[in-house]
Amino acid sequence: MAADNPIDPIHQFEISKIAEMQIAGIDISFTNSSLFMVFAIAATMTLFILGLSKRSIIPNRMQMLSELSYNFIANMLRDQVGDQGRAYFPFIFSLFMFIFFCNFIGLIPYTFTVTSHLVVTFAFAGLIFLAVTIIGFMKNGLGYLRIFYPSGIPIFLAPLIVPIEIISYLSKPISLSVRLCANMLAGHSILKIFAGFIVMLGFLGFAPLIFLVVLYALETLIAALQAYIFTILTCIYLNDALHPDH
Amino acid sequence: MKFFLKIFIFILPLSEAYAEGQKSAGLPQMDISTFPSQLFWLIITFTALYLFMWKFVIPRLSTTIEERKDKISNDINDAENLNSEASKILENYDDKMNSASLESNEIVSSSKATMNEYLDKLKKDNEIKINAMITESEKKIHQQKQQSEQEIKKATIDTIKSIVSKYVETVPSDDEISKKLN
Repeated sequence: MAADNPIDPIHQFEISKIAEMQIAGIDISFTNSSLFMVFAIAATMTLFILGLSKRSIIPNRMQMLSELSYNFIANMLRDQVGDQGRAYFPFIFSLFMFIFFCNFIGLIPYTFTVTSHLVVTFAFAGLIFLAVTIIGFMKNGLGYLRIFYPSGIPIFLAPLIVPIEIISYLSKPISLSVRLCANMLAGHSILKIFAGFIVMLGFLGFAPLIFLVVLYALETLIAALQAYIFTILTCIYLNDALHPDH
Repeated sequence: MKFFLKIFIFILPLSEAYAEGQKSAGLPQMDISTFPSQLFWLIITFTALYLFMWKFVIPRLSTTIEERKDKISNDINDAENLNSEASKILENYDDKMNSASLESNEIVSSSKATMNEYLDKLKKDNEIKINAMITESEKKIHQQKQQSEQEIKKATIDTIKSIVSKYVETVPSDDEISKKLN
């Protein structure tokens, strides 16, 4: 029943195979999720290829757009991490553009939202967590363990503070991935539910339609905001790894 | 009120239908069999994007932005230079104007002084001349006066002589007459 249900809000998150593929018995089929990942990077590449095709001192619209996104992320990284963050700029920039376009493409009806799947967001969050931990130990040695014991805390509080800090550190990738995934999942489900109401209510459907328009605007905001939050939190974690004393 | 009630009556069975649908389908997010495919394609696409950004986009964008920054700062420098040049020229002009007005003031005052000097000299010369003329004319007047007095005296003596000679034989001398007159 679920698959045929035209207003099943979960249906949009289902993964369907487009081309079957296997490597060593592991199913790595090209699915609709893969297709929309390709769409997201294609959209990003299109933006920058168009933006960079005619580089000039006075930019045209596409160049302006690509420079705005560049400056936005570069300023974010500089404010949060400082000049040491320059080496990680390509990753942060790619991360933001990828999540941004995945979120936005997912807002188009009948599309698939790549970032609504926890495994995708957790892959990013886990990668960031591992990278940040490795960078932290590489730059500070064992001194990186200081992040579990903030300066200025009396020694008798250490048995209480240190486990809390360790738990909060380990929960970072979970909160980071669940935040993005849950926002996308919930937002798109609600949109689908209200879109279903329009069909079901017939001519009375204008009431949920108005609500849907408002909700859609909100979801557009959330799509941009969650990409921003994911990126800025990555910057903050990176800053913790580079400057554990702060 | 009736309108909202109607909506509510419609919504109630619908939401039950969703709940049912969810139960039977399960969340696609929890379907582990799709994970390898998602991760595999995520790695491929994101690596492609990362390489594209790293090798293509960022160098180009940063050089463009740097070039613009340089151009703007160069233009600002040029403008500042031109501005300082202009203010220098203005200063020069003001200096020249000041010195010219000082010079003209000097000229005016010096010419005034020479004029006054000349006038004073003229006045003095004229005074001296006038004084000389006055003394001379006073002298002349004095002479004339003495002369005319003597002439009057002489004429009086002559007249007395001629009158006396008509009545008396012996005519008195001039000294006697003049003694009598005084």
